[in-house]
Amino acid sequence: MALDIDRYAHVESFLSRWDPRLKILSLGIFVFCVALLDSIPVALMGFALACGFLWLSKLPLNFVRGGIVFVLIFLIPLIFIMPLSYPGQAAFKVLGIPFAWEGLRIACIIIIKAVSVVITAYSIFGTSRFDVSMIALQHLKTPKMLVQMLLFTYRYIFVFIAEMRRMDIAMRSRGFVKGFNMTTLTLMGNFVGTLLVRSFERTERVYKAMLSKGYNGDYPTLVEFNAIPQDFVKAILIVLVTILLVVIDITGPFKPAMLAWF
Amino acid sequence: MHVSDGLLSGAVITAGFVGTAILTAATLRKMELEEIPKISVATSVFFVASLIHIPVGPSSVHLLLNGLVGIILGWRAFPAILLGIILQAILFGHGGVTVIGVNSVMLGGGALVAFGIWQLRHKFSFSKNEVIFGGLAGASATIASGLILSAALITTGEEFTVTAGIVLAYHIPVMIIEGLVAGACVGFLLKTKPEVLSGFRYSSHHPSINKSAATSDSSKD
Repeated sequence: MALDIDRYAHVESFLSRWDPRLKILSLGIFVFCVALLDSIPVALMGFALACGFLWLSKLPLNFVRGGIVFVLIFLIPLIFIMPLSYPGQAAFKVLGIPFAWEGLRIACIIIIKAVSVVITAYSIFGTSRFDVSMIALQHLKTPKMLVQMLLFTYRYIFVFIAEMRRMDIAMRSRGFVKGFNMTTLTLMGNFVGTLLVRSFERTERVYKAMLSKGYNGDYPTLVEFNAIPQDFVKAILIVLVTILLVVIDITGPFKPAMLAWF
Repeated sequence: MHVSDGLLSGAVITAGFVGTAILTAATLRKMELEEIPKISVATSVFFVASLIHIPVGPSSVHLLLNGLVGIILGWRAFPAILLGIILQAILFGHGGVTVIGVNSVMLGGGALVAFGIWQLRHKFSFSKNEVIFGGLAGASATIASGLILSAALITTGEEFTVTAGIVLAYHIPVMIIEGLVAGACVGFLLKTKPEVLSGFRYSSHHPSINKSAATSDSSKD
């Protein structure tokens, strides 16, 4: 699983050339609408569009795969739980438990939508530098404080991962083996405590360093955004397609077949 | 542990965002400049610590530590958890961007519950008061989050009732682990750097803070 989401931000692509503000806004609208779709065919259209965005982003597939697998691990159990627990008429019984196709349909649609959203999130945030995305978010009226804290937090994640790896190696080299027992849990508590103590001591220094460089609550940046007419055309196009999806979903030919698959 | 995209209804998702907005506004009041790096650094520690896996039988669970966030940051635990959730959603689709609101209310709400329980420690006097209440706070944060998650699932549709039950049952072993780890961590911090625990934090003229700042300056870099 890659934590540096902007590893491939330097790759020139249709999405990386796009003004990040418009990219986040229009694809954000797309993501929210896809998450609320109700029928499998329309969700599949959304999935196809999401794959299209991924193709346009030119991100390597194995970079995105980690995120998709992660989502699937959480959602695959639903395929078994939902059909067997859906209230209402059952098609047949499996080991005495009523099995409902509608439950399976709900599980499938959830998985399709979740994967589409994750893929699109990669297309949004994988195609510009992380700080640029965050500053774009600030232009989109995200509170200034939140954006600053996101930038700091992101930066320190890598510092603490390195710290954690070092501590982990130190523990294992002294013969520590993780297990489900009291010792492990106590040691993990101490482990987290040590990380915390170090981090708080670091904050003091970080804050002093920031003050000495003139920090007064603003985060100056050299990042500038220039939206060209083409950017707006892309954004409007995506919003229109999204509206079309929602309209098909609500009124379209698939609505009467809510209990069926098509 | 997190809700994924595409699972919840529009109403629940909206409620999540509205709840998050209200709680963020309420918990960020009177924020001082100094707290920006403090909350951020604490958030990254918890983000990283949540990558720790504890083996349970053939599988493993990862730490949540939202109770510990509540113990350390007090009210500011909510924005800290919001940050963590946003980053998890952006960086690896853990959770997902559409359910940032619901996930924040779920885990952040648990953290605030933990803070409430942690504050109760003054009313009792056991020999290991802090450790006991640290553990209780860690465990109650987990179970509070589990309850909020189950409520979100059931409000979405009654077909999720069984799923909600399974989710809640899954939280019980996690609750025990969280409680023990949080208790151990509080015990450790009490011995090494008690001013990190919330309650010490707002008295910035506490002598130990100045002392530790002075020692930390010379110890590193």
